[in-house]
Amino acid sequence: MPQTLRGALRLARWLACAAVLQWLAGCGTLIPQTVALRTDWPQGVPRQVELARVPFYPQDDYLCGPAALAMAMNHGGAGVRPEALVDEVWLPSRRGSLQLEMLAAPRRHGLVGYRLEPRYADLLREVAAGNPVIVLQDAGLLFPQWHYAVVNGFDYATGTVYLRSGRQPRQAMPFSYFERTWRAGSYWAMVVLPPERIAATASEDRWLEAVNALARSDGAAGVRAYRAALARWPDSLPAVVGLANQLHDEGVLDEAAAVLRAALQRNPASVILQNNLAQTLSDQGRNDEALAWIRRAEAAHSPFASEVRATRKLIEERLLGSPNPAPAPPG
Amino acid sequence: MNLAFKKTTCRVLVVSLLALSFQAAQAGLIRAEQAAPPMSAERALLLGTLDRAEVTAQLQALGVDPLAARQRIQSMSDQEVHAMAQDIQAAPAGGMSDWAWVAVVLLGVAIWYYAVRK
Repeated sequence: MPQTLRGALRLARWLACAAVLQWLAGCGTLIPQTVALRTDWPQGVPRQVELARVPFYPQDDYLCGPAALAMAMNHGGAGVRPEALVDEVWLPSRRGSLQLEMLAAPRRHGLVGYRLEPRYADLLREVAAGNPVIVLQDAGLLFPQWHYAVVNGFDYATGTVYLRSGRQPRQAMPFSYFERTWRAGSYWAMVVLPPERIAATASEDRWLEAVNALARSDGAAGVRAYRAALARWPDSLPAVVGLANQLHDEGVLDEAAAVLRAALQRNPASVILQNNLAQTLSDQGRNDEALAWIRRAEAAHSPFASEVRATRKLIEERLLGSPNPAPAPPG
Repeated sequence: MNLAFKKTTCRVLVVSLLALSFQAAQAGLIRAEQAAPPMSAERALLLGTLDRAEVTAQLQALGVDPLAARQRIQSMSDQEVHAMAQDIQAAPAGGMSDWAWVAVVLLGVAIWYYAVRK
């Protein structure tokens, strides 16, 4: 009996050694971004940041989505309680919240939801810029347990990430362990920002996608977001078109036309700008001027030929219909 | 008129009603989304409208109130709705509870009791 016990102990020791070796060898691949950070800390990011002003809402059962969202949204300026967000993101049968809905919900409160690139450096940059980051983690031991938390700080010296998570207002997690939980969800992370504030790591295309989506839900917030985007990227076509369309929607036709004219000076060949300016001028009752613009748009080959044709038809009908045209209502 | 035909007609009507109610095009203006098109604008619009109806139905099936489901879909872009239609069942839904930990502990105790202690 003691001999078999000794044998079993020896086997266990070997197994343990093998496991430790395996773990050491696997470290680099399990936490590739932490390993990279050790030697290559992102430029311009301070070593220690903690956003103490991010509010904390403890989560109820399964409701980490609404709780995390409420923390980020309150920090972004919308006074909303987690309970109010349950109806906006919670899926009863799935007992959780989907990422796409987490991104969409802030728009209903006039805020931009922006998904970050799956990079540790981007997460740190956003936190350093004062933007708390919502992350999706796999907190399960044996089977996946998806969980949303808010990263609101980090400390390079001790290798710690600080989170508002579940019922813990200040959870401290090692960089490496955090990456293991975060990696399982493909490094999913998002920020929630007021329309005037562009994310620190935003790219022009993806930020404008997020702004377009905001404008769908909240036109006034959309206008503010388009203006900010235009100030940052003056040549952005989606920003100009979006701003002018929103202004047109609100009946501010003079400014819509002015925005389009200014953009046409930068980008004189754009069929979209020409078509939309023609439509706006026609809605102002200036059909002769509109006709000149739509003819220019028609001369170019573009994927928008059918829209351009429809606009020309409308302008011609209006010209024929009333010799003394009155301003038509927008839309 | 046979039953299958009736059923098909009903489905078409339901989808078209939902689809039409989501139309929000601005007359004459080319949209900002089209200024950076990932695919043909008309195709995106069509897919978007059909997907909206489908995802609304799926949200309802997952226990969301019909009105809330429509509002939730309304705040999504066409691309997002399309992505959602693809993987609403499979995408991870974040939501951890203490019961998961209880389950893990119970499993550990059970393994210890039956495998080690006997």
